Amino acid sequence: MKLAFWSALVVLCLLAVFGAACNRANYAADDKSKVHVGIVFDIGGKDDRSFNAAAFAGVKCAETGKSPDGTSCGKPALNVLVRDIEPGNPTSIEPAMRAFAERGYDLIIGVGFAQAPIMEQVAKEYPNIHFAIVDGVSNLPNVASLVFKEHEGSYLVGMLAAQASRTGTIGFLGGMDIGLIHRFEGGYEEGAKAVNPNIRIIQNYVGVTDSAWNNPGKGKELSLAQIGKGADVIFTAAGNSGLGAFDAVEQAGMQNGRATHFVIGVDSNQNMVKPGFVLTSMVKRVDNAVYAIVQDVVNHNFQAGFHVYGLDKDGVGYAVDDYNKSLLSPEMIKRVEEARSKIIAGQIKVTDKMLN
Amino acid sequence: MKLLRELLFPTIAVIAAFLVGALLILAIGDSPVQAYKLLIGSALSWPDGIGYTLFYATPLIFTGLAVLVAFRCGLLNIGAEGQLYVAAFAAAWVGITFANRSAWILLPLCFLAPILAGGLWGAIPGVLKARFGSHEVINTIMLNFIAVALVSYFTQYHYRTPGDPIMETSEIGGGAHIARLGKFIPGMPERIPLNLAFILALVCCVLVYLFLWRTKWGYELRATGSNPSAAEYGGISIRKQIIVAMTISGALAGMVGINEVLGYRYRYYDGFSDNYGYTGIAVALLGRNHPVGVVLAALLFGVLQRGGIHVDGFSEHVTKDIVQVLQGIIILFVACEAFFRGSFGRFGLLRRSKV
Repeated sequence: MKLAFWSALVVLCLLAVFGAACNRANYAADDKSKVHVGIVFDIGGKDDRSFNAAAFAGVKCAETGKSPDGTSCGKPALNVLVRDIEPGNPTSIEPAMRAFAERGYDLIIGVGFAQAPIMEQVAKEYPNIHFAIVDGVSNLPNVASLVFKEHEGSYLVGMLAAQASRTGTIGFLGGMDIGLIHRFEGGYEEGAKAVNPNIRIIQNYVGVTDSAWNNPGKGKELSLAQIGKGADVIFTAAGNSGLGAFDAVEQAGMQNGRATHFVIGVDSNQNMVKPGFVLTSMVKRVDNAVYAIVQDVVNHNFQAGFHVYGLDKDGVGYAVDDYNKSLLSPEMIKRVEEARSKIIAGQIKVTDKMLN
Repeated sequence: MKLLRELLFPTIAVIAAFLVGALLILAIGDSPVQAYKLLIGSALSWPDGIGYTLFYATPLIFTGLAVLVAFRCGLLNIGAEGQLYVAAFAAAWVGITFANRSAWILLPLCFLAPILAGGLWGAIPGVLKARFGSHEVINTIMLNFIAVALVSYFTQYHYRTPGDPIMETSEIGGGAHIARLGKFIPGMPERIPLNLAFILALVCCVLVYLFLWRTKWGYELRATGSNPSAAEYGGISIRKQIIVAMTISGALAGMVGINEVLGYRYRYYDGFSDNYGYTGIAVALLGRNHPVGVVLAALLFGVLQRGGIHVDGFSEHVTKDIVQVLQGIIILFVACEAFFRGSFGRFGLLRRSKV
């Protein structure tokens, strides 16, 4: 027993010494001449092919001038060094931000509204470091809030949906039942009603917890139910669960080489997921917003407060590419483009249902 | 000597896991020395590293003890996850409902609520097993889903601050906050969430040890675990033992709610648990189902969780998944213990001691 006690003590002492030695050692040798950018992702992680992936694309573009898949992202590389952390659980978000802050990073980006309260705590203690929160809001003098007018983009795809619909009924599939997603739903509804005041809109939410973003099975069942009630275009704002709607419209099949039912993707361009069945995608250019804030810091031009990305700054929009060109007639595009310029000019006001 | 022998095998498993992990890191193209320096250096730095490591270890000590108690009675409690969810919500519910009472009333209430709720939730599969013989593994797993869905429903529709986009309840009354250890330890800032629940966890270890090995009830419980038929022949009510063990197990798991709600966030936060309940099984296994072993194993897992973030951020290619790889290999080595004991046994090195 005595021996056990002493050996345990010795092991503990050795560990402590080793720990202290490591503590003084240099962390990865970073290039001091570069602007240091740290990004903390949402629980979903950087490979979610949607929201986080877009943020990752933004910082990668700033670092290397390339998209994560190796192609050029169309913007010059800035003189920055990017490090990223995927916390994986809500308890690790704060230590992750502090890890960057302690090392004196120039800009720390948080992805997702859930990080806003945590970022406020950290940002208060490091007033000389710039912070940016995607989708979240903070009033601190060193935090930039990168927010998007999802309702404006949703308005445009709502118009497209109403024009493409033959049954006069369209669907909306939301992920988690929260204000942010009501914003998508509200814009979509207004856009559809602007084209066809009598249109019927069926809406469903996958759930009320975080798992609602990651349940394609339920997404598919809800979409099939909407199709059963006559909906022939379904707009998804449901993260991974939205992929279930893609399966549902594919299952509904084709007639004379044209799909009978369509889906509208969200956040990233999802037109290529099921070519022929995707009417368009409501894209949210998180990558542009993230790139812009990095550029601001590099140019010593950082501004705290709201950075609002609407139709005017190409922050939101709808995707047209080779996969869906044949599905959208020139008249449809023309009508939507008119509305787009009217929204930018302020002649059409789209209600933000998150605030109301 | 006995203790040393017990410690030897898990230590070998941990070292072997780190060696295998080093090979993996080499294969990815990073330096294992650098990666492990980051991992351990960041976990043992003062004050943030040590503070967070102990904070991460706290819930694992509770769930490890929970699994241990059930295991000693021959039961596998996979339901610690559900028990701690219900318990954390119960703590928040009491803290919100009686927010205006004085701390003298509020704190004991908030303290007992998660223990009772966890114990009750744990007793359900215990009663089902004792009364109907339905298997506790199935029941505890299924109760996990029910627990998570139930508390999510109440959080979403009844206890959320209107307009808050985050799935969390409103804050509990100020009287129910328990002190963070930063208050007592010089040099540790109070923002580090390590709180009195850590001390409670250590106290629970001692209590569990005393209960299991120094009381008649503990003896009855262990007797049921090692040989139910013999225990019954000796006049022990197996049914009662099963219910008692599951209730204590659930109550221990429920104490995670004290750490989370009373000591850290001061509210129920949906999805707060990083699989604490399931990791508790690994902690108990690695700790050889002994309270001291559970503490050591929980500390190791705390180190891995804390260090994992830094490896993820500041190494070139290694991601935080290396932590899961290490945990997985450790468990694998511990689980095939019998295999190793066979070949080492003849040297008398790893002879199983009678605990």
